[in-house]
Amino acid sequence: MSTETDTGAEAGRRQARGVVERVRASPFLSDLLSNRLALVGLGIILAMIVIAVYARLFVDLEAISLTQFGTNPPQAAPSAEYPFGTDGQARDIFPRVLYGAWYAVLYGTITVGVSTIAGVGLGTLAAYFGDVTDNVVMRSMDVLLAFPSLLLALALVAIFPDGLGLWRAVAALTLVYTPRFARVIRGAALAVLEDEYVDATVALGAADPRVIVHHVLPNCLAPITVQSTLNFGLAIIDLAALSFLGFGAPTGTPSWGLMLSNGVEFGLLTGIWWWSFFPGLFLAITVLGFNLLGDGMRDALDPRMRDAID
Amino acid sequence: MISKRFVAKRLLLLVPVLFGVATLVFAILQLSPGNPARVIAGQRASEEFVRQIERELGLNDPIYVQYGRFLLDAAQFDFGNSYTIQRNTPVRQILRNKLPVTLELALYGQLIGILLGIPLGIISAVKQDTITDHLTRVGALSGISIPIFWSGPLVILVFAQFFGWLPTSGRIDAQRFSIEQVTGLITVDTFVQGVDATLSSGFAVSHFAPFFSAVEHMILPAATIGIYSMALISRMMRSSMLEVTRQDYIRTARAKGQGAKITLMKHGLRNALIPVITVIGIQFGSLLGGAVLTETVFGIAGIGTLLVQAIEVGDYPVVQGTVLVFAFLFTLVNLGVDVTYSALDPRIDQ
Amino acid sequence: MACATRSTPGCATPSTDRGTIVSADEDGSQGSNRGRRERLSRIRLVGFAGAVGLALGVFGTLVVATTGADGRGASTLVFSLGALAFGFALLGWSGSVAAGRSIEATQAHLDTDTGWTESGSRRAMARIGGFGAGVMVGASVTTLLV
Repeated sequence: MSTETDTGAEAGRRQARGVVERVRASPFLSDLLSNRLALVGLGIILAMIVIAVYARLFVDLEAISLTQFGTNPPQAAPSAEYPFGTDGQARDIFPRVLYGAWYAVLYGTITVGVSTIAGVGLGTLAAYFGDVTDNVVMRSMDVLLAFPSLLLALALVAIFPDGLGLWRAVAALTLVYTPRFARVIRGAALAVLEDEYVDATVALGAADPRVIVHHVLPNCLAPITVQSTLNFGLAIIDLAALSFLGFGAPTGTPSWGLMLSNGVEFGLLTGIWWWSFFPGLFLAITVLGFNLLGDGMRDALDPRMRDAID
Repeated sequence: MISKRFVAKRLLLLVPVLFGVATLVFAILQLSPGNPARVIAGQRASEEFVRQIERELGLNDPIYVQYGRFLLDAAQFDFGNSYTIQRNTPVRQILRNKLPVTLELALYGQLIGILLGIPLGIISAVKQDTITDHLTRVGALSGISIPIFWSGPLVILVFAQFFGWLPTSGRIDAQRFSIEQVTGLITVDTFVQGVDATLSSGFAVSHFAPFFSAVEHMILPAATIGIYSMALISRMMRSSMLEVTRQDYIRTARAKGQGAKITLMKHGLRNALIPVITVIGIQFGSLLGGAVLTETVFGIAGIGTLLVQAIEVGDYPVVQGTVLVFAFLFTLVNLGVDVTYSALDPRIDQ
Repeated sequence: MACATRSTPGCATPSTDRGTIVSADEDGSQGSNRGRRERLSRIRLVGFAGAVGLALGVFGTLVVATTGADGRGASTLVFSLGALAFGFALLGWSGSVAAGRSIEATQAHLDTDTGWTESGSRRAMARIGGFGAGVMVGASVTTLLV
């Protein structure tokens, strides 16, 4: 991602090169691939995505959401038949936990994705126009950043109607996460805009939006990816936390946060530990995966860009 | 170094802070879909009854009248009575009972976080790139990755249920002791009062039995919050320490012949602490967020669970009061942090 | 007291002892002139944002009122949105004043420059706050008149 090699002519030739060579040429990717912890994180994430897609395709959502008295014994300890045991509604916990991966990946992606898009918009806007726009946008982002994320999400959740279910949590968290992306992208965009070759492009007569699309956004890709990865884990935790507190998934939904909430409320004191243990385990492993990969990515990032990411 | 005027100025800033927070809460509750009159009347009440309550509460007045009235009340910290949670009890009184509970929890949690996090960060930095460093870093990363609502149940499982060393939930063994609330901080109240005032069953127990019971109940929730805050602090401490040791004056001191360890302690630590203290202040907010989750897991009735409950059922006065208390605490803690900060950094004079 | 040395939008309310303090702080009549100019530009900044907000508040209330919601619902909605901006800005403003020096010092300490300055932040918040207050007034005025 070093900008010296990124002149217009080079960029065209680079695309023609083989993937292996490009990986080797990019200090970001080769640094990342030599970081063992980051690779472990990547492995965890890929595994979770596979589980999520598998659950979405092959697990019957209705069967695992409704009570299963009669079919299964209630509150059965983990066994060969029920690897993670059954809960108070006689539901088999194992497929529920698998399906939880789908919810985490899906809603996490939407939260992070929408915040990224909003952040890219606000960040490039601020960097490009500068002056009053920059000041008003970025200082507002700073104020939003100063709020503790869970408390801010709790306040925002109150605005949206009950019926939205998990979408309510997603909407609130999107507002909470947008500033983090806006800040990074503004920093990265400024770094690119200050570079001489952009000046040269502008001098050659490239129109405003073209500069952003062709030069600013491609060069912001690395910091955007790093920030998304780091915040993906946090988003999954916060989504689960809102569900845990009762502001997310409706009753019966196999989301990790809700399973944990029920497991803690009804199972913990009566010794049914598996009710809350397994959803929490999957949640923690997933988040750890994103944090490991994100940390590795940040270390591999161009130091000039690294400053913008906290 | 720290002038009275600095502190006075910062205290005066509480006015716009609370004004701003009150306005925000007012706006958010106005925008939220619930109808407070319906909340008070209950779901099955007649439409007519709801209208009557609306009139009594002045919910039909123009919005600017309601805003003005709300600000006047908020200035006196009077939010009226709770709608549903503790029906007809003044919010002020509810908060007075529940605030110390959360404060105590946050305080002990933060204490654990600081006492463990700073040494761990230093060790990790001094032994950079050794096994110790790697273990500490992965440990810290895990501490951040594990959400409180899972680590809480885990410590309950291990220490309360498997080993049976510590109690599962609550603040004190309520069947044996009843403690009169004085400060509201249960470890203080039990320590001062002892058992004499409250012997309920007559059998002989140590004077400090209620105190020990309170401490036993405090350990797991405080540790749950503490682990999280420890992870954050140790990460910050490590990077700050590494940053400082790279700076010139440390090298100069070393070149002058001072031993490495003495140099580190004398010059490095003090400077490395400065950003860490800022972080401690900033993350006090997430500590309060953590307290909300911890209280829910451990069944502790503080203002965290109160806030969640109030948002859930639409008990507006309680929401307003609780949020303002949170903002007040956050501001005060950051004032404290700034005072410490300028005491540590001689370059900043206020 | 708190406003004595720091010229801030919130403290810009005209008070009798204020002018003397400013001129005592800076030397001579030139400094007093500059202080007045700064205050003027600050008033203009808030005033402009407020005027925009006021217009938008009136306009917004009318639009919402005509496109469905009853009159009270419209003014409540627009007023609350304005209050959201106003409260947010108040909070941001006091946060900047309170944390300004330590943030700037931390940046100097860590040798990172994010472009954050206390005065810049205060100006941004003054704009947003003026705008929000304008919307609130606009919504109220519209309710009163219509």
